[in-house]
Amino acid sequence: MNSQQTTEPAPAKSEMTAPILAVRGLGKTYTAAGHPLTVLADITFDLAPGAPCAIVGPSGSGKTTLLGLCAGLDRPTTGQVVLDGQHLGDLDEDALAALRNATTGFVFQSFQLLPSLTALENVLVPLELRGVRGAQATALDNLARVGLGDRTDHYPNQLSGGEQQRVALARAFVHRPKILFADEPTGNLDDETSGPIVDMLFDLNATAGTALVLVTHDPELARRAGRVITMRGGRILSDA
Amino acid sequence: MKPALPTSLPRLLVHPWIWRMAWRDSRRERQRLAVFAASIVVGIAALVSIHALRASLERGIALQARELLGSDLQISARLPFDEKARAAFAAASTAADYETNFTTMMTFPSGEARLVQLRLLGGQFPFYGKIATRPADAWPALREQTSPVLFLEPALLDQFGVAIGDSVRLGEADLVISGTVLQTAPRTGRFAGFAPDVYANRAALDATGLLGRTSLAGYHAHLQLPDDAEPSRVAERLNALFPDVNWEIETADSRRDQIGEVLNRFEQFLSLIALFSLVLGAIGVASAMHSQIRRRRQSIAILRCLGLSSRGALAVYFVQAAVLGILATVAGALLGVALHAGIVAWFREDLPVALALLPPAGVILRTASVGFLACLGFALLPLLQVRDIPPLAVLRDNFGGLGRLRLVLRALPVGLFLFALLTLLSILGSTSLQRGLAFPLGLAGVFLLLLLAGQLLIIAARRGAKASPGYLTRQGLANLFRPQNQTLLFVVSLGLGVCLLTLTVLARAQVLRQIAVTESGAGPNLYLVDVQPDQADDVRALLAERQLPVMESAPMVNMRLVSVNGTEVRQLRDEGRVPAWVLRREFRSSYRTTLNETEREIAGQWPPAPWNPNAPIPLSLETGMAEDLNVGLGDRLVVNIQGRTLEAEIVHLREVDWSRLNLNFFMLFPPGVLENAPGFHVITTRLPQDTTSGRLQAALAAKFPNVSAIDLSLILETVRELLGRVGQAVQVLSAFTVVAGIFIMTGIFLNGREQRTHDAVLLRTLGASTRQLRTILCVEFGVLGFLAALTGSLLALGAHVLIARFAFSADPVFPLVSVAVILLGAAALSLLMGGLLSRGVCHAPPLSILRRE
Repeated sequence: MNSQQTTEPAPAKSEMTAPILAVRGLGKTYTAAGHPLTVLADITFDLAPGAPCAIVGPSGSGKTTLLGLCAGLDRPTTGQVVLDGQHLGDLDEDALAALRNATTGFVFQSFQLLPSLTALENVLVPLELRGVRGAQATALDNLARVGLGDRTDHYPNQLSGGEQQRVALARAFVHRPKILFADEPTGNLDDETSGPIVDMLFDLNATAGTALVLVTHDPELARRAGRVITMRGGRILSDA
Repeated sequence: MKPALPTSLPRLLVHPWIWRMAWRDSRRERQRLAVFAASIVVGIAALVSIHALRASLERGIALQARELLGSDLQISARLPFDEKARAAFAAASTAADYETNFTTMMTFPSGEARLVQLRLLGGQFPFYGKIATRPADAWPALREQTSPVLFLEPALLDQFGVAIGDSVRLGEADLVISGTVLQTAPRTGRFAGFAPDVYANRAALDATGLLGRTSLAGYHAHLQLPDDAEPSRVAERLNALFPDVNWEIETADSRRDQIGEVLNRFEQFLSLIALFSLVLGAIGVASAMHSQIRRRRQSIAILRCLGLSSRGALAVYFVQAAVLGILATVAGALLGVALHAGIVAWFREDLPVALALLPPAGVILRTASVGFLACLGFALLPLLQVRDIPPLAVLRDNFGGLGRLRLVLRALPVGLFLFALLTLLSILGSTSLQRGLAFPLGLAGVFLLLLLAGQLLIIAARRGAKASPGYLTRQGLANLFRPQNQTLLFVVSLGLGVCLLTLTVLARAQVLRQIAVTESGAGPNLYLVDVQPDQADDVRALLAERQLPVMESAPMVNMRLVSVNGTEVRQLRDEGRVPAWVLRREFRSSYRTTLNETEREIAGQWPPAPWNPNAPIPLSLETGMAEDLNVGLGDRLVVNIQGRTLEAEIVHLREVDWSRLNLNFFMLFPPGVLENAPGFHVITTRLPQDTTSGRLQAALAAKFPNVSAIDLSLILETVRELLGRVGQAVQVLSAFTVVAGIFIMTGIFLNGREQRTHDAVLLRTLGASTRQLRTILCVEFGVLGFLAALTGSLLALGAHVLIARFAFSADPVFPLVSVAVILLGAAALSLLMGGLLSRGVCHAPPLSILRRE
């Protein structure tokens, strides 16, 4: 479905439950060298709980900007985002942070581990922020699930790229988020390393019932998500 | 959505997770943070040591005030005390000792003569404090009535090669040296410090025959009061009993205040240095936090993505800054205490009172707390940036920050807090509110000017880089204005250090030049004082015999001011209309018809036309005194000359250059008025350079034993020695500022290292040689160091011109070689650090860096 033709709410893929993510008429305009630059316009779509979806498109098409807006990392110029029933526009920065901690997980292309924390400490952070008791056992369990049970005390710079991304996955799922935002999760990895990472990503998505928003250049990876939103020039070209 | 962490900043600051995160986050940065923290350690050490020294001195003086005076009450007069006065003193005290002192020449067996302060004492004084003599316990021998007793300071014995038991000549008598005084009695005389003390008993003094022939004798009564007597009350009572005498009464409190006043000026200067060091150290901490926040940008954004609030992120880094500040404060306070102990031990001989090695704990705590607050306040400025880092920075880091106006507005309360804190600190270390305010204002001015200079440097580098023909120079200059450059920080820290160091060197040169001018100029360098009127011709003849010029020969009459335009001076002083010194001072006035070369006519006419003997006597008054008295032409003064009053009318105003040590007077009378008043002549001459006054002094002492020859070069030597020691103390403390600056510079270099390494690796990959890489770094740090040091030097020169004009009232001296040495030294230091940096940068293996990208 092409959302360029309509500003009305798109019908949810699942009629039974409320979407975990609802995007309505979203737009983002920056001012560059005194001139307005629209990088995103008129984006509307829904995502059902536990459902995966891939956002694809050429460089500069607005994929990462869209992901940032959906996750409440930035404020849109127009439109609105409803995440887990919360209108992000109504929330202040602290409330957004609390919502992210409770609802979302992130996996980034450049891993984005905290360099001064060990693998275990990195995984612990989301739970610690929630004040969860016995968090260490959960974190160790998650690290073991990504195959790094013996690397818990290593710092990020002592791990390979693939291992770092696995730590990032463990961190992303450790607090059982309702939705996971992944920005080119295999973009910095070779084919051999990225295969297991992708498997883990979808496996965790399936077993934890976490919705997945996956920004990628990789057509193969996008196909595995099932639903693919294709973007060009800041607009949705197709949603299938 | 209820977050697990508290939302309010105070509660966040005590939350265990925030502390845990602050600890974890600092793991990779502790070494870097420690280098910057060293600068605040140095700043707080300077602050604590200086304030501790001040407190120790105040406490020492307060505790030992009676020892400083040696008695409870000291009454000084120009005439001997009569029976009535002695009876009143005896009634008021439990014990009294009388002292008569004057300066005179002492001739040694070698024929050399030396000006000494002869003190006749009864052997009881001092009542408080100890006198140490050799032989031990010889002091009470002064009570001996029949045979002469004479004690000298050991330095005199060493200087003239004499020993206990040898004879020296005083006036008409050859007296045997009975012993030496190792620890002298509290000093009373005018020449105290310049002429060594010689103690004699009555029998010795009588033998010299000098007392009746000197006009400069001082008479002092030292009283020990009953325990319940209040010295100031006793002083008031004595003043009331003897309203017509010119006594100066000192209590232990007034002596304490007098010493405190002298020390205050020195302490104020040190306080200024402490303030500079603290600010520089605090800038170091601010730089540390600025760099920390910049380096942790990604981490902060990740934490924000994971759900940490902006306030929580701020709390993490605030805790880091606070812990850094506390550790640095403790280390600085300990270093300060050690420094205090070192200074007390080093200057033990020169301090007026004995001081404890450890300063009062309260002062350490108070000063260290203020230092900590300043440190935290400066750290807050960069810490506020934490709140601007959005979680989006994880994805891309090119978002616009806050507008410049909003940044300034947000930093304003912190800036005002810091200014208030520094002002408070300055006022605590200063005697007047005005001075207390002037320091932080001056500091803020220097700070702003350095910031401006840094901005101009960035603009100039941008233009220079465009115009530069060679790539290496262009790249070096470009580093000065590249994004996230540290040019401003570098200019401020190095500039501030250079500015202060140069200023102390300039101030010292200014004082030394004043002394040199006095020495080498055409003015007199030997004063012959206490020449009796009937001796004046013979003394002049003696000088002529030795082919020495008589530069000035002036009669001198002592007088006190009684009233101004009919109002008593005491009343004017009580009303605050004249300064207190006008009442206390004994004016030595003279008579002549011409102005000398150091005087300039301001108003009126001198000499005056013949005047009516029944009208007031015409008077020429020095302009400074006229301003203090708030009088001008036509106003009338009444003076008291040893009991006789004279009314004078101001008909002439003169400006006097007091820095030239000619014979100058506040009040000049025409001839025909003071000739018969009791007084003496002062004759000045100039000895050729590099000749000593020894032979002339010996000849004078033999022929005119009452005449005191004051050798200016000896006095100036003493001043120079004192200045040398004070200069050392000041320079040691100024060095602290420089050390703090060096730590900041090291921190800056470490900060820039990664960026430089990255650039160097790329350039190496593209084929740049080590020499080319070094040239780029040398251009950058050479230009930066030189211009920062130049700015600091220029600011110091500007401040020096103001200080010379307003504080010294003199033309500023420019020891350009010293200034250039500091300037080039600082620039060379910067270049050296650039060179050291280039070693690490050039030797980094490119592949390992590129793989990290």
